[in-house]
Amino acid sequence: MNILYVEDNKINAMVMDKMLSKHDSNVVIAENGSQALKVVREKNLDLILVDINLGLNQMDGCELLQRFRKLDILKSIPVFAVTAYAMPGDRQRFMNIGFDNYFSKPVNFDELLSAISTLSVS
Amino acid sequence: MPFTLDQFEILAEKTLHFLLVFEKDGRIIAYNSRCEILFPSDVSYMEGGYITDFIIDDDVPVFKKVISELSPENFLISKSFSFATENHGVLSLKFDLTFQNNLVYAAGTDTTEEYKEHRALMTISKLTKTGAWYFNPKNNEMYWSKGCYIIKGLDPDTPMTRALGASFYPKESRKRVEKYLDDLIKNKKAYEYTEKIVTEQGEEKWVKVVAHPVIHKNEVIYVNGTIADITDRHHYIEKLKYNEETKHLALKGIQSGLFDHHIAKNEVFYSSDFKKMLGLPLDQDFVPEEIFRKMIHPEDVDGAFKRHQDNLKKEGNHYHNHYRLSDKKGNYKHYEVHGFRRKNEKGETIRMIGNLIDVHQRKLNERTIIEGKNRLQAIVNNGFAYTVLLDTKGKILITDKKSLKIIKKDFKVDPTKTDCLFIDVMPANFKNSFIHTFNEALKGNTIKKEIERVMHDGNTQWLESKYTPIFDDDYKINSVLVSFHDISERKLAQQAITLAHLREQELSNLKSNILSNFSHEIRTPLNGIMTISNLILKDKYPEEQNQLLKYLEESKDRLLDTMNKLSNFSEIDAIHDTLNFEEVDINYTVESSFREYQHMADIKKLDYNLELDTESPQAKIDINLFRPALNNIIHNAIKYTEKGAVSIRINSNTSKKNIYIYIKDTGIGIDKKDFFKIFEPLMQGSTGISREYEGTGVGLSLSKRYIEILGGKIKLKSKLGKGTEFIIIIPKHV
Repeated sequence: MNILYVEDNKINAMVMDKMLSKHDSNVVIAENGSQALKVVREKNLDLILVDINLGLNQMDGCELLQRFRKLDILKSIPVFAVTAYAMPGDRQRFMNIGFDNYFSKPVNFDELLSAISTLSVS
Repeated sequence: MPFTLDQFEILAEKTLHFLLVFEKDGRIIAYNSRCEILFPSDVSYMEGGYITDFIIDDDVPVFKKVISELSPENFLISKSFSFATENHGVLSLKFDLTFQNNLVYAAGTDTTEEYKEHRALMTISKLTKTGAWYFNPKNNEMYWSKGCYIIKGLDPDTPMTRALGASFYPKESRKRVEKYLDDLIKNKKAYEYTEKIVTEQGEEKWVKVVAHPVIHKNEVIYVNGTIADITDRHHYIEKLKYNEETKHLALKGIQSGLFDHHIAKNEVFYSSDFKKMLGLPLDQDFVPEEIFRKMIHPEDVDGAFKRHQDNLKKEGNHYHNHYRLSDKKGNYKHYEVHGFRRKNEKGETIRMIGNLIDVHQRKLNERTIIEGKNRLQAIVNNGFAYTVLLDTKGKILITDKKSLKIIKKDFKVDPTKTDCLFIDVMPANFKNSFIHTFNEALKGNTIKKEIERVMHDGNTQWLESKYTPIFDDDYKINSVLVSFHDISERKLAQQAITLAHLREQELSNLKSNILSNFSHEIRTPLNGIMTISNLILKDKYPEEQNQLLKYLEESKDRLLDTMNKLSNFSEIDAIHDTLNFEEVDINYTVESSFREYQHMADIKKLDYNLELDTESPQAKIDINLFRPALNNIIHNAIKYTEKGAVSIRINSNTSKKNIYIYIKDTGIGIDKKDFFKIFEPLMQGSTGISREYEGTGVGLSLSKRYIEILGGKIKLKSKLGKGTEFIIIIPKHV
């Protein structure tokens, strides 16, 4: 399974890579929106994980999602929000924007892995 | 069975009817004894006499006419006739006249009482408060109806005599009234008069009396009279007369005196009215100019003579002048002169004929009006509002001084000198609103409106305008009073309150934002820490343990850094351990902080000043806490002040123990209910305009905590919209 993870925090990106690699996934890291948009054109992906806060003066995860949705090749690919925005109402907010799933940081990997496995089955 | 002649005779004598038989010419054939009262007592046997001899003169032609109408075809006629009797006055009898065998059979009943009523009603029917009276001159018998008694206020049961009747007239008119009656009896002519009476109760009344004679054989045998109380009408007429006289007098007064002035001869001839008016001797034909000059009021002489000379030079023939003249008692009155000038062939005035008119009363009235107007003007000027009185066309009648100044300055018009519509002297953006509101006021409504005006200094002024229609005596609107009240202060306070509400609202938003940010900043490194510790615990990558621990360390640092950055408060407990107290010169410290913000104050064009203490107060404090605390407050003072001044003052003289540092601004101020809040962490005085005032929002709470750690206090005085004063109190080091 090819997974793109858009995350500016290198440690977080690294540990996600390590966690998912253990479960037969190939993780590509993008540090920001521009890199992510470049990756989606070059690679066949099965899932995209997007951090929302991608740093000051950077395209944020929400905008990135809108850009993805305009690309034909990504029309049917699920996009999950993985974010430290975890106040009440945040889940609803991101789901409303159009994310297919939402995971708050610190990420509960069991939940994330189970969501991924559901995808691979279908 | 028919009556026998004897029986019939008895019957005729027993009846109350007057029974008579006479021929068509009135010669009496027979009568019953009842009829004897109709005939004089000395004529014992009247058969062969004529009935017309006993009927009153007025009724004789009627009688003759009725008798002539009787015929075998028209044999029954009813008619009343009055008989003059010797002892019973006039008796009125109603007869049924039957014509048979060329004789007239008359059967009469006594209707005297009805007749009297009838006659009285005839005369007085239209008058109220009337009475009827009858007088028999032969036996001096006087009869009064109830009305007469009521008018005189006399008990109706009192027997009436002529003398008693006359006694109600005052002495001076009694003889006259008696003479009227005597003359009537003598001349047989009706009379009427209006006289004053004094009633039994002593009340004066005016009565109108009308009397008619009843004549028999060319002699007055009876007098019918009416009397009416016309007191009310009389008073009304008297009042009318008085008014009429006043009017005539007034007219005479206006027409005053004529004069004829021969300029060449320097002689003035006056009409006698004129002389009387001025108290000049009537036999003196003219007054030399010098004497006339002395009669003019000293204050008016120069003006009057100047106008006189100007008049003579003028085109046309008219002459007009005015001055006060003294009358014979030495009182001055206002006069106006209107005259006609006669010129010679050179166009010089050689003679003037004119009228001197007493306008004293008018002048006094004018003065009253002017005084009234001045009083009104004074009220208008001394009011707090701008006030303009407009007529119904919108023309300015009166303005207060302040408004007048503005109009003069902005529009170069003086409404007191030239006619000026209010709409022409107001800012263009007021005009629509004015027209609408003014029209509403003309409908009789009092209207209040708020308007905004930009003043010369660029500040906005809020005015509350009030339009009050003013009614004249006929309840018509004759003017509209427009007043403008400066409500800027109220408005500013209102705005400040609204702002405060807004801030409160935004504060709750801010708090949740801050909370959200905190959460995000903590969760991010926590994510790393938890994942790594998970990996280590599960011991999945033993060869990378060291690397993972390094990452863990980094995440931990990041978390700590976040915590430090966002919450200075958490540091404060730690501060206590690292405090470094040393002697500090407050004057010097404050001055250096003051200078640090000079630039910021200059940009905002604030009046920024510092007043150092005359002493050099020392405090034992940690400069690293004191300086940021002070800086924060100075910075805030400048930040929240848009115009005006920020003043800093140090004072250690008033207290033995403490040094006071006052930081005073003229900024937005703080609502009293928010005083405690501003020292709360994460609170910004103005969250509402947070873009305008960027900051951490922890400044003031930190200042307070720092100063408290140093053993001092911060006090706060503030008024919303007016400004704030922070007072830092620090213990002296002696």
